[in-house]
Amino acid sequence: METVAISPLAGEKLNVIADVFSQAITGELIGMSNFASLAETIDDPHEKMEAVEHANSERMHAEGFMAYAKKHGINININLAGEYWGNVRRQFLHYAKIKDFIACLIIQEVMLESFAVSMYTDVGNALGDEAGELFLSIADEEKEHLEHSSDLLRAALQEDPVGFVARFEEIHFNCMSILAKFTAATDLSGHCGVCNGDCMKGSLHHIDLDIATMRGNALALYARALDNIGIPGEKSIVWIAQLPA
Amino acid sequence: MDSTTACLDFAAIGHQDSWKNITRFVNGLRKPGQERLSDDTVKNIFAFLPPTEVFKVNVRSVTGATINGVYVETFIDPDKLDARFGRHNLAKVLEALNHVEKMGSKVATLGGFTSIVLEGNLDLLQQRRTSLTTGNTLTAAFIVKGVEEAAELVGIDLQAANLLIIGATGDIGSACATYFAGRVEKLLLCARKQLPLQELVLSLSKKQVSVHGSTNIAEFSRRADVIISVASSAGIRLPKLKSGVLICDAGYPKNLEQSLDDSLDGHLFHGGMGQVSGGFSFSPDYSSSIYEYPAPFTIHGCILEAMILAFEQRWENYSSGKGKITTEKMEEIYSLSLKHGITIAPFFDSAGCWAPLKKLYA
Ligand SMILES: NC(=O)C1=CN([C@@H]2O[C@H](COP(=O)(O)OP(=O)(O)OC[C@H]3O[C@@H](n4cnc5c(N)ncnc54)[C@H](OP(=O)(O)O)[C@@H]3O)[C@@H](O)[C@H]2O)C=CC1
Ligand SMILES: [Fe+2]
Ligand SMILES: [Fe+2]
Repeated sequence: METVAISPLAGEKLNVIADVFSQAITGELIGMSNFASLAETIDDPHEKMEAVEHANSERMHAEGFMAYAKKHGINININLAGEYWGNVRRQFLHYAKIKDFIACLIIQEVMLESFAVSMYTDVGNALGDEAGELFLSIADEEKEHLEHSSDLLRAALQEDPVGFVARFEEIHFNCMSILAKFTAATDLSGHCGVCNGDCMKGSLHHIDLDIATMRGNALALYARALDNIGIPGEKSIVWIAQLPA
Repeated sequence: MDSTTACLDFAAIGHQDSWKNITRFVNGLRKPGQERLSDDTVKNIFAFLPPTEVFKVNVRSVTGATINGVYVETFIDPDKLDARFGRHNLAKVLEALNHVEKMGSKVATLGGFTSIVLEGNLDLLQQRRTSLTTGNTLTAAFIVKGVEEAAELVGIDLQAANLLIIGATGDIGSACATYFAGRVEKLLLCARKQLPLQELVLSLSKKQVSVHGSTNIAEFSRRADVIISVASSAGIRLPKLKSGVLICDAGYPKNLEQSLDDSLDGHLFHGGMGQVSGGFSFSPDYSSSIYEYPAPFTIHGCILEAMILAFEQRWENYSSGKGKITTEKMEEIYSLSLKHGITIAPFFDSAGCWAPLKKLYA
């Protein structure tokens, strides 16, 4: 006779999914706040309106994830001031305060969006079902943000190749170091303040994922974004090699 | 890449033999004081990265001409070179090809394992703006000329010698077999698959030369005076060897060296390598962490082939397909290489240059 075991993983799987949603929603709200701050750095009224529109699109992403979580009884935890998200936000605000529009674009639309597009795609493919589709559709929209910024940044590089690359390098180490620590096999700067209990990184196998692959894919997309902007490969390879690992 | 690559004459697309090499390179890129990364940590990042240009090269011919090139690392996982990962690896090679094309390179060598694209997927090569070559013609030329020179140096008369070629049915191996047919006493050919080996033996024996094939290396190794190994496998064991045997280990990862014990009573060198007497410079200069050889300005024959095509402005798919290398083409590319001051590299193994050369490059 066939016996049907009740999977003890159901609970664990639900916990990981809750953490994944919590991270995604927190990230979207950081993005929303960043675009709202970005609007401050812009003088051109049309571009200002565009930044607010972007902030709204991130808000809608957050709402989409929240609605799904509510419908399926997933407990979410939002924390914009945790170790990593809070630091990324502080970095962004530093550049927003000095009205450095290009730096803001690099942080939000290249660095954060590379990670968002890549990780949402991995999660979407792993979850399948309705939740998976939600992640994949939001990944598609984030991809547009990434592409939109590449055009602007390519033009900025052409204007001043040496100055642009030097500036990018500074921002890379200020911001990507935080994301690199966040996504390392173990939290290199302590708990993220978003996951419930232990970090979800050790439990990703419950949804057929692992942090090394997710991080590798995200860094690969970031490397492709750098190439697309026109950063020479011999620079990006050094920048990536020097990140905390 | 417009901002940095004004004029790109050639590109070399390659991969590393081991994670140890990649880790050494990556740790060399880290800032002083930064923690050294383990092979596993490096693998967890770099195995995912897209093909990337790692350094630029400026090469000088003795004619006074100079050319600019770039090395593109595919980050193909050295532990995943076999057929099971074919599709994934092919995707990386194609991405690298698109990359060098976007950079405007006029010719590119597909080094080592990346040449799979040129050997089996010729339709993928149509209408490319970058000419492509496996570099195997010059590699084969450097191997055969190197063996001739080394044999003279160690006092082996090739006319009277038994030459064993391991990997004889391969692109480079078959070129070497064809070259040496009639120039040695006996050709002993080895590969794992029986049928292609039989075909090769048959076609060579039509030329009235003494040629034998076997899938069992042990059968031949004890009779060989000279061995050329150009197989696509590492750790091949040679049970018995003649005293004074000359071995040209030209495959990657090194086919024989690691599995031979210290008691080798003979001479081994890494074949297929050339030396640029006009010199070259890397930018950034990674010559101490990625391209380190006992003699200066040493480089793989396959990469040198692209350089020579660039010096000669011959934008053609010089070596492509499999088993199509002729002795005439080997002589042609070899004489072009000499014209630009590119010669066979000084003989060396993992321990360094051969003894009489040691003083020269110490
Ligand atoms: N020095 C340099 O600059 C260069 C070196 N190379 C190296 O040369 C080697 C050959 O390249 P290429 O000719 O293009 O490769 P191919 O794939 O065309 O040929 C490989 C040959 O090796 C044989 N072989 C593989 N494993 C074994 C084994 N265990 N025992 C006996 N024979 C074996 C294969 O036959 P079968 O499958 O039947 O065994 C085949 O004959 C590679 O290692 C490559 O990396 C390449 C380019 C440049
Ligand atoms: Fe978003
Ligand atoms: Fe976005």
